[in-house]
This record gives sequence, structure tokens and C-alpha cells, in this order.
Amino acid sequence: MKQLHTDVVVIGGGSTGIGVLRDCAMRGYRTILLDRADLGQGTSGRFHGLLHSGGRYVVSDPESARECASENAIITRIQPDAIECTGGLFVTAPGDNPAFGDRFATGAIEASMPCEEITIAAALKQEPRLNPGITRAFSVMDGTVDGWQLVWTAAQSAKEYGGQVLTYHKVSKVHHSNGAVTSVTATDLKTGEQVNIECSFILNCAGPWAGQITEMAGLPPVAVVPGRGIMVAMSHRLVNTVVNRCIYPEDGDIIVPVHTVCIIGTTDVKVDEPDHLGIPRNEVQQMLDAGEILIPGFRQARALHAWAGARPLIKDDRVAASDTRHMSRGMAVIDHSTRDDLKGLMTIGGGKLTTYRLMAQHIVDAMEEQLGQTHPCRTAEEICPGNIAGRNYLITHRLKDREDDRTQSPIICECELMNRAMFVDLLKQYPNASFDDLRRQLRVGMGPCQGGFCSSRIAGIAHEEGVVDADRATGLLKLFLEHRWIGLWTILHGDQVRQTALDNWILQGTLDLAHAPATNAVEPDPITTGRPRVNGNTQPTEASQLLGGPETIDASIGNPGEEG
Amino acid sequence: MIDTIVIGAGLGGLSAATRLAQRGQSVTLLTFGMGGVQLGQGTVDVLGYVNDRLIDRPFDGLDRLPRDHPYSKFELRTVTQALDWLSDLLPNIFRPGPIRNRLVPTALGVMRPTYLIQESMHWPNPATAAVVGPRQIKDFYPELMAANLEKTTNAKATGYHIDLPARPGEVDSNPVTYAKALDNPDFLAGFINAIDAVLGNEDAICVPAILGLTTNVHEQMVTALGCPVIEVLMPPPSIPGMRVNNEMTAIAQSLGVEIIMGSKVTGFSASGSHLECVTLHQAGRNQSYCADNFVYAGGGFESGSLAMDSYGKVSETLFNLPLVGCDDENLITGDYWADQKLFAVGVDVDESMRPISPEGVIFDNLYAVGGLLAGAQRWTEKSGDGIALVSAYRAVNSILGLVSSGKEAGDG
Ligand SMILES: Cc1cc2nc3c(=O)[nH]c(=O)nc-3n(C[C@H](O)[C@H](O)[C@H](O)COP(=O)(O)OP(=O)(O)OC[C@H]3O[C@@H](n4cnc5c(N)ncnc54)[C@H](O)[C@@H]3O)c2cc1C
Ligand SMILES: Cc1cc2nc3c(=O)[nH]c(=O)nc-3n(C[C@H](O)[C@H](O)[C@H](O)COP(=O)(O)OP(=O)(O)OC[C@H]3O[C@@H](n4cnc5c(N)ncnc54)[C@H](O)[C@@H]3O)c2cc1C
Repeated sequence: MKQLHTDVVVIGGGSTGIGVLRDCAMRGYRTILLDRADLGQGTSGRFHGLLHSGGRYVVSDPESARECASENAIITRIQPDAIECTGGLFVTAPGDNPAFGDRFATGAIEASMPCEEITIAAALKQEPRLNPGITRAFSVMDGTVDGWQLVWTAAQSAKEYGGQVLTYHKVSKVHHSNGAVTSVTATDLKTGEQVNIECSFILNCAGPWAGQITEMAGLPPVAVVPGRGIMVAMSHRLVNTVVNRCIYPEDGDIIVPVHTVCIIGTTDVKVDEPDHLGIPRNEVQQMLDAGEILIPGFRQARALHAWAGARPLIKDDRVAASDTRHMSRGMAVIDHSTRDDLKGLMTIGGGKLTTYRLMAQHIVDAMEEQLGQTHPCRTAEEICPGNIAGRNYLITHRLKDREDDRTQSPIICECELMNRAMFVDLLKQYPNASFDDLRRQLRVGMGPCQGGFCSSRIAGIAHEEGVVDADRATGLLKLFLEHRWIGLWTILHGDQVRQTALDNWILQGTLDLAHAPATNAVEPDPITTGRPRVNGNTQPTEASQLLGGPETIDASIGNPGEEG
Repeated sequence: MIDTIVIGAGLGGLSAATRLAQRGQSVTLLTFGMGGVQLGQGTVDVLGYVNDRLIDRPFDGLDRLPRDHPYSKFELRTVTQALDWLSDLLPNIFRPGPIRNRLVPTALGVMRPTYLIQESMHWPNPATAAVVGPRQIKDFYPELMAANLEKTTNAKATGYHIDLPARPGEVDSNPVTYAKALDNPDFLAGFINAIDAVLGNEDAICVPAILGLTTNVHEQMVTALGCPVIEVLMPPPSIPGMRVNNEMTAIAQSLGVEIIMGSKVTGFSASGSHLECVTLHQAGRNQSYCADNFVYAGGGFESGSLAMDSYGKVSETLFNLPLVGCDDENLITGDYWADQKLFAVGVDVDESMRPISPEGVIFDNLYAVGGLLAGAQRWTEKSGDGIALVSAYRAVNSILGLVSSGKEAGDG
């Protein structure tokens, strides 16, 4: 067994874990982060893409609204590559109570959140597809965030401070003796090797799996009740501004433009466990109906892809009321020294991707308190490497880049304007990556053709570059298409059916991919184990946590559509 | 006066129009786009797989298909006559051969069954094969193809690249650009030299399907390189498909078929169950086209003639013809590799190819052919071309009255 030593082990490579790694590393702790899969493939990659202005919470949860408003400004500044400053609108749709707008406006002032009521004409000028029957409109600072970009640039920053990231390392055991943690055992899923990491602190950022981690320490699991939300991406930006309904948070009340698509969401249905979330057709229908309310004709637009994430409501009655000092609503740190008499272990849950940095600050502060240390948190001050302050992501960036380099490198994914050089660079950095891993950073295969044209190209390139053998290249290609299909089949209608028929003619008809020789299981597939291949009404998924002890649960926690 | 209006310019529409014109009819072909031929593989599939079993003799395999399969509507001799008709029509394109499926390599190195092949696609069973392509073509990866070929054939295969832009400074050229360049003798000479320079001494050479549209690049390469050269099937645009499409279109036109392309047929008028005219939406106005008979060859879901709306309702988009196969609750399932029942949904026809409902024929003079027909999983079976061709041939028999006492007449 491989042995490693470090000060802190972070379990979970979603936004929270990465934020914690960065914060620990910047405060001078030797830190190793472990994720059972790739970074940001959990909830942080299966969310709605909204960088909250706070507007969604000004009435239901003012404290969260305040946090969102200030974190929004910080993230926009320190990670501009991950953020598009689209702005947002809250609109009163026909039939919605216009009086809610007054509570909204008051709440915005109380949360120090920039907000301005604008005329209907101005709103329609900004977003011409909006329902012309809207009766009020408020302009806010919503933005959109690429969860993967956010996670990877924060990881880059952490690495510069010595932070280490071990992906495809699944934690199986948390060891302790004499009331304090001693080490973590994980399996390297790519090699099968066992790794034991001695450490003095473990920060459990495993999102919806946080309960499993505490169980691995032999403790009563933190009780998680996942609430599934689905999202549907449409093939165009029907809006260029985030559009929210100005009502108490509800299902399907937000449309977020992200990169080349726009996303409607979401729902909230309690499910048993986070590894098997379905995308039920009735919820898809519900989203399309909700879309019609904001944008008439929404059903005729082309739906591209759907996914599901789960917000786990943590109902942990072992957390003492006295232990909630690091909690704000919806985000919490559980100190297992008070909950379970075990030193050196803390669990974090809840919050939002927008507030990931603040969450990290809370748990690292709590850790330092137990350790009797105080270092200042500087994560809000420093811009992540590779980013230039004020140069936020623009939808036209890739178009400009390709204009500049189109005579140097062929465009492999036309939908998302990814060229060969981008693919090869990343592939060489992550030679063990699956095509989905690469997709999350490059967006290859995420546009209208959903891999119909580009997928066989990337297989050819990966093999040609000598990174994978033919067997694996073909296997990765098959796996990629299987995974694309998970998010396609439940929303398949309209023009996307036509696209699918074309894709199938190319891949099955002309190329006869089904009979291409390849190993079946090319990937250790931790997130998809147990997912049925046939009629797989399930989706690998992860979820965030809404956390509260009995004393801290209130009406705002676990509300339908809470996360947006 | 138009005898027959054909809607659609895929293999179904082109075959119907051409054969009707051969028989002296005045034919107008109305089509929105170019049809599937120049996007497809440029061979003619009849039937390659049934239940994932490779079919060696496609005509024998037809028996194994379910009763509601389009092939079950044809007499065997109609199938063979239709294929003979097409190979006779395009003697310069299709290679004569035994009545068996042939296996041809695809860009993924898979040996894929198909029926009529072009001369350039013939796989000579070499002991060693070179796979060579220009670096500037992004749909052809010689090493991957070679490595897979070693598993799918007995050949020892090696991949090579050449560096030869079709146009100076272009890193991203599509097959059409290359095909046009290769029709130029100077470029072809450079291409041959470049290939010659990288080769080992393999028995045969596989190249991407870019070997010219108007000249016989393939023959010249075989002569110059002194060994078999094999054109490999690639994603669209398809040069072999374009050859078929161009040739068929030219023949149809030379026989007097009027082709009106770029506008959609959007409506129709009928008196009772007799179709009188169709409406072409042309240059912002509607134009009526009337005829005695109508062949509807609008294709399947990929061509927009069949569609499913956001509520999951499937329909035929022009005549609103009744569909079969759409009652199933699980038209689409989560298994990527399974046949999706949705894609077998289509129009049901009688033996003369007229769309029917349980109550009978919809229009006495409307014939539906090709991708519209219900009951086939075309891309898995490798059956799309054959269904389109034979159904068009059968519809023409009906229109021309070439059906006597239940037996059909052929062209022979
Ligand atoms: C439907 C929905 C929509 C949302 N929309 C928004 C939005 O628009 N804006 C916003 O700000 N927030 C949104 N959120 C909230 C946000 O997505 C989450 O708060 C955030 O992503 C949580 O990140 P995390 O790192 O805590 O969890 P995760 O991203 O789930 O990370 C947990 C990680 O732990 C890893 N792990 C699990 N078990 C193990 C193990 N045994 N060993 C090693 N690793 C393990 C997993 O692989 C995973 O990567 C939304 C949430 C949902 C559910
Ligand atoms: C990428 C690709 C690969 C393929 N590979 C294979 C293969 O490997 N094997 C195989 O057997 N087949 C293959 N095909 C399918 C094959 O080429 C035929 O498309 C299919 O069999 C159906 O033929 P069709 O003549 O019925 O219709 P299509 O070829 O689909 O043509 C339909 C025609 O109708 C026109 N049209 C539709 N609606 C209207 C309207 N309202 N008004 C006017 N015009 C209209 C369209 O513009 C088009 O010209 C492939 C197709 C594609 C696109």
C-alpha cells in the first residue's frame, strides 16, 4: 500500500472541496484532496449555472441573499474566466401576484443587493422573447457560472500553494485512535492501488455522500435526504439575461443562459439515494410548461440535454444547538469532536455553488479553532491563476480565438468551437481521462449534435497522439455516446429527434460503430456503478447539502426549488 | 400536364422519378433538399444484419424479418428486379458481383456489410494493408483505422499520414474540397507521390473516400501505385454518395424530369380520396402542382417528414398520414445500443405502396416510399437504401399498371 503524509485531507472535489483545498493551502497547510471521480462531476457539474445575485432569496431567506450578493462580486472578480456577467431580470408573469414585487424590492434593499425596477418596454427590449404580458420587471446582478471552469481554476490556484489533487481516488476508510483521526484509506480507481494518507485533519466535503464518509469513520452517518432537481438545456440562448419569475421560489422559475445554451430549472423531489437519480418525463413536461410562461413558444425551441442533481437536506439530530456558530442558513459545519467525540474531523454541507468560497472559509476557520491556530483567509483577495481581473468570460471568446488560429488547428467540435490543439493539450495533461472528463473542461460534444460528428474524431486523435491504444479509444468513444444518451433520451423531441436520426445514420449506419472492436469496460466508473444499462432511468448524480440540526431547520431550508 | 409528381430527392424519389420518365411519363420532382444519398455511404444496402446477425445473402435474409417490416410487403422478384434496374442504370458506378453482401471497411476499421458497392470500395483481402490519409482531413484517422482493421480482418495494417493541403494554408478541409482537387491531374500526381513516399510495401492501400467526383481518380491511382486502392466510408459529406446522387440526377434530367429544388411542399388539395394537387411554398407564395399520381418520398425523421412534438406525439408532417408503431409507451429507452422503437414508426402501406389506415386506402393515387415506411430499424439493419429503392420501384409498377394477376412485370 502506498503511504502519504499530509496535514489535511479534503474528501470531495466539488466546488466546496476545491474551495477548502485552496483555502487550506493558502493558509499554509499541506493538503491533499481526494475525489472518487473527476473534479466537478458531482453536484457542482449538475446544477443550474446561476451565479446568484441574491434576488432569489431576498424574501424567503435574506441572510442567504446577503451572502450571495457579496460572494457574487468576489467570484466575479477572482475567477472571471468562469463567470459571464449576463445580468438578471425578475419578472412578474401574467397571473403572478404583482404585490410580491414590493416585498422583493424591500428585501433587496435590506440585503444590500443592487436592484432596480425597470419598465416593461425596457425589459422586452433587453429580452425580446419574454412574455409580453409581464407586469413588472426588476434588473439585478445575476450572472452565469461554469462550475467546471470554477473548480479547475480554483484547483490551479490551490496547486500553486502546494495543494494536491488526487482524482479517481475513492475513500473507503477513515482511521482514528484515541479520539482523533489518524489517516484515510483510498483506492486509486485507475490502477487499483490502495493509498493510505496519514493526516491530522480530515475535512469531509463529499456533498450528498457526506453521510457515507462519516460511516467510514465508524460514526453514525450524517443523515442526508436528497432532493432531486432536473434541468433542461435548450439549444440556443433564448435569453441572454438570467430570467427569474418574481414569485416565492417555485419549480421551473428560472432560465439561465450558459455558454451556447440556456437552461430551465428546476424541480425538487425527495429521493432515496444520490447515485440513482432519474429524469422523469413528467418533470420534463413541467419544465417545458414553465418555459412557456416566461417565453411563449418555448416548446417549439429545441431541447438539447437534461440532467439531475440532488440537494440533500441534512437532518442530523446529533448536532447540538450550541454547535451552530459556523452556520448560516443553508450552510453548516458539523464538528465531530462535539457530535461524536472525534477530533480532527469536520463535515460541511449546504450552501450554493455561488457561496462556495465562503463555505470553505467557515470550515477552515472552524478547523483552525480546533487546532488553536489563526491564519487570515485570503481567498477573496487573490485572483486565480490564468485569469485577468475584469476580463469576464464572453460568449464570443471562442469565436474570436478560432478566427485567430483557424489556419493552425482544425476545429474538431464545430458546435462548441473546440479545436484539435485544445483537445490535445488537455489530453496530454490528463492521459487517463475519459472523454467525459475532457468534455467538462472543453465542452466537446455538448452542442446541438451531441457528439454526432466530433466523437469519432476525438477517438481518432487520442489514439493518433499515442495517449490511448485503439481498444481504449474505441471503448471511450462508445462510453462517451452512452453517457450523452443518458441526458438525451428523456427529453428527445422536435429537432433533436431529427439530429439523433442523423447522428445514428453516421455512427451506426455509415461507420457501423456497434461492431467496432473495443473492450467493454474501459472505465472504472464509480459514479455509474449500479446504473442499469437497459432502460436506465437513472443518472449518475451528486447533490449539495442543506444542513441543519433540529434547532436550525426552518421553513426556508428544503423549500422546493431552494437551490435555483 | 404532369403525369406524376414525386416529392423528395433521396434514393426513393430519384428512383421513382427516373423510372417513370424512362417509361414515358412526364414527371416533376419537388424537393426541399438534396436527400440522403449524398450524405450516406455511397453503396446500396439491402439488409446487413438481422438481430445483430450478419447476413451473407441479403435476399435470403428477407424471410427472417417480422411481418410488419417493409420488405415483407414486396415479392422477392421485385426486390431483385429493382436492384438490377439500379445497377443497370449506373453501370459506371456500381461493381458487378455475386448476389451476396460484401464487407467494406469504414473509417473506424469496421468491416461493414453492404450490397452494391463502387469499384473503388472492393476489399481484396490483402495480407498487408496501408491506411493513408491527409493530415488535413479531420474525419479520417489512419492509425486507429489500421489498428481496428487488424482485429476485424486478417490483414496486417499500418497507418500513415501525408501532409498535403487541398488548398494552400488550409488545415481543415472537407472531403469535397479534396475530391475537387483530386480531379485535377497535377494535384492527383502530387497526392500519389506523397502516398508513395510514405508507404511500406503493403499489398493494398486504404484511403479516405475523396477520390474525385468527375474523373476516375481511383483507376489512375491503382495504375500508378500498382496495387489495389480502397476508398473507405466516412461521415458526410460523402463523395461516393455524391457520385451516385449527381449521376442519378443527371439521368433523371436527361429523361425530362423537371426538378424543382429548394422549396417545401406544404399542403395539398383532394376531392374525397383522390389527391388533386400539392402546394409548393415557393418564393413567399403558394403554387399549386397538379398531377394524376403522387409519389411521396419525403424520408424519415432525419428528413423532417416524420416528427415528434414536445408532448411526444408523432406525426407525418405533410399529409398527416396515419402512423403505425407509435402506441408503445417506451418509444425511446435509455439504452444507447438498443433499437429505439420511435425510429420504426412510420406509414403503413398496401402492396401497391399506397398509405392505408385500418379503414383502407387514404388516397387512391398517393404512394409512399422510402424512409417514411414503418417497421424497419434502418441503420442497425443496414436496410435504408434497399427499402427506398424497392418501394419506389414497386410504387412505379403500381402507377404504370405493370401488375398483372397479382404478378408484377419487371424491366427485363
Ligand atoms: C438542481 C440543483 C440546482 C442548483 N443550482 C445552483 C445554481 O444555479 N447556483 C448555485 O450557486 N448553486 C446551485 N446549486 C447548488 C450547488 O450546485 C451545490 O451547492 C454545490 O455544487 C455543492 O458542491 P459540493 O462540493 O458540496 O458537492 P459535490 O459537487 O457533489 O461534490 C462532492 C464530491 O464528493 C465526491 N465523493 C463522494 N464520495 C466520495 C468518496 N467515497 N471518496 C472520494 N470522493 C467522494 C463526489 O465524487 C463529488 O465530486 C444547485 C443544486 C441543485 C441540486
Ligand atoms: C448521414 C446519412 C447516412 C446514411 N447512411 C445510410 C446507410 O449506411 N445505409 C442506408 O441504407 N441508408 C443510409 N442513409 C439513408 C438513405 O440514404 C436514405 O436517406 C433513406 O434510406 C431514405 O431514403 P428516402 O429516399 O426515403 O428519403 P431521403 O433520402 O431522406 O430524402 C427525403 C427527401 O425528401 C425531401 N422532402 C422531405 N419533406 C419534403 C417536403 N415537405 N417538401 C419537399 N421535399 C421534401 C427532402 O428534402 C429530401 O430530398 C443515410 C442517410 C444519411 C443522412
